[in-house]
Amino acid sequence: MDNNRDQWVEERLAALRPDSEWLPDASRGLAQFRGHQRDRATHRTRRWGWLAAGAVVAALPLMAFPSTRAFAQRCVSACVGQSNWVRDLLVHNVSESVPSSVFVKAGNRRMAPDFVLDDASGKPVRLSEFRGKVVLLNFWATWCTPCAAEIPWFIEFQKAHQDAGFATLGVSLDEDGWSAVKPYIDGHKINYRIMVGNDNVSRLYDAVSLPTTLIIDKSGRIAATHVGIRSKSEYEADIKAVLDEK
Amino acid sequence: MRRCRGVNASREALAEIGSNAGHVDVETIFLAHYERIARVIARVLRDPSRAEELAVEVFLKWSRNPAAQGENAQAWLYRVAVRAGLDELRRETRRTQRERVVRFFRHSPTPEDIRASKEDQEKVRAVLAAIQPRQAELLVLRSHGLSYDELAGALDLKPASIGTFLSRAEQTFRKEYIKRYGQQ
Repeated sequence: MDNNRDQWVEERLAALRPDSEWLPDASRGLAQFRGHQRDRATHRTRRWGWLAAGAVVAALPLMAFPSTRAFAQRCVSACVGQSNWVRDLLVHNVSESVPSSVFVKAGNRRMAPDFVLDDASGKPVRLSEFRGKVVLLNFWATWCTPCAAEIPWFIEFQKAHQDAGFATLGVSLDEDGWSAVKPYIDGHKINYRIMVGNDNVSRLYDAVSLPTTLIIDKSGRIAATHVGIRSKSEYEADIKAVLDEK
Repeated sequence: MRRCRGVNASREALAEIGSNAGHVDVETIFLAHYERIARVIARVLRDPSRAEELAVEVFLKWSRNPAAQGENAQAWLYRVAVRAGLDELRRETRRTQRERVVRFFRHSPTPEDIRASKEDQEKVRAVLAAIQPRQAELLVLRSHGLSYDELAGALDLKPASIGTFLSRAEQTFRKEYIKRYGQQ
């Protein structure tokens, strides 16, 4: 009975056999297969392109708000500070001979608020004592990675321009104070004066994001305020521009 | 006779390629299996060119699925091919039924329709579209000449239970066929 049933079903299913004249065309199939794979790769690339464009368009209106702009800047600063590759690309390969976009013309500058803070040896440092010199005033902290990226440049600037009437001053905003800052100064061989700041000083300069770096001209006015990490050449261009002023 | 030997030789070659799929180029696998996969689908579908299109789609799915590659490539291709064919057959059947309803109100069936509906192939296809998909897959692959072991691999069943499944599938097919077309 089973055999009969098998045979009966098999006879009927045998009707499904494709036409013996018909042969699937493997070369045409392969061409279609390649075409689909190529289309898919193109489609994927295009989709990522659209997604990236969409993200940029969505992010642009957010940049109108200061808080989101500051957040974006922090993210970029953190990336730039941590990646040598990006830093080299952005910092060392960009040559700036003109002052940065935040550079203020001599007539429009406001006075840098004065303050007194102790340096590592306990000696008080008053900003107004530096009148007649160009000052790079850097607000930083030992935990701030982008700040650490800038410190070797400031050491270099101090070495290169100190005889031309230039001084770098660092104000650390570390909560742990000198216990964190002193070992850092020794470890990094910092050749300029470092003070430990307080809330009053950071409020005077609105140093909310770190690093914040100001270039102060010979008459004690703020020539440029850089918030977040900038390229070395930008700082250099601003310093030179202020040093060249009469 | 020569044709038979050719088929057997090709099966061994395919099994070998399947087991080394990790090292073999995707296109080599395509060329080795394409004809057989297109033929499995063509058993189920009326239109051979559609069968070829579906075979290409099966290979595209396979190339995008890392789990399908390796020594199970052949079994995976058979399973997905027969499913793709039967899914298309069911879609075709539903479309034809809808068109019949529309035609009923428009005009009487054409001689071509009547001829096509009487064809044995169409009857078998209608029955396959109506029974359980798993049973239909088993019957199509068996009619394509797959051994019990190959069927077990392709449909993810135990080789020992293939005989029972096949017997049930044949019984279901027979009942459905007789219900529709009588004992012929």
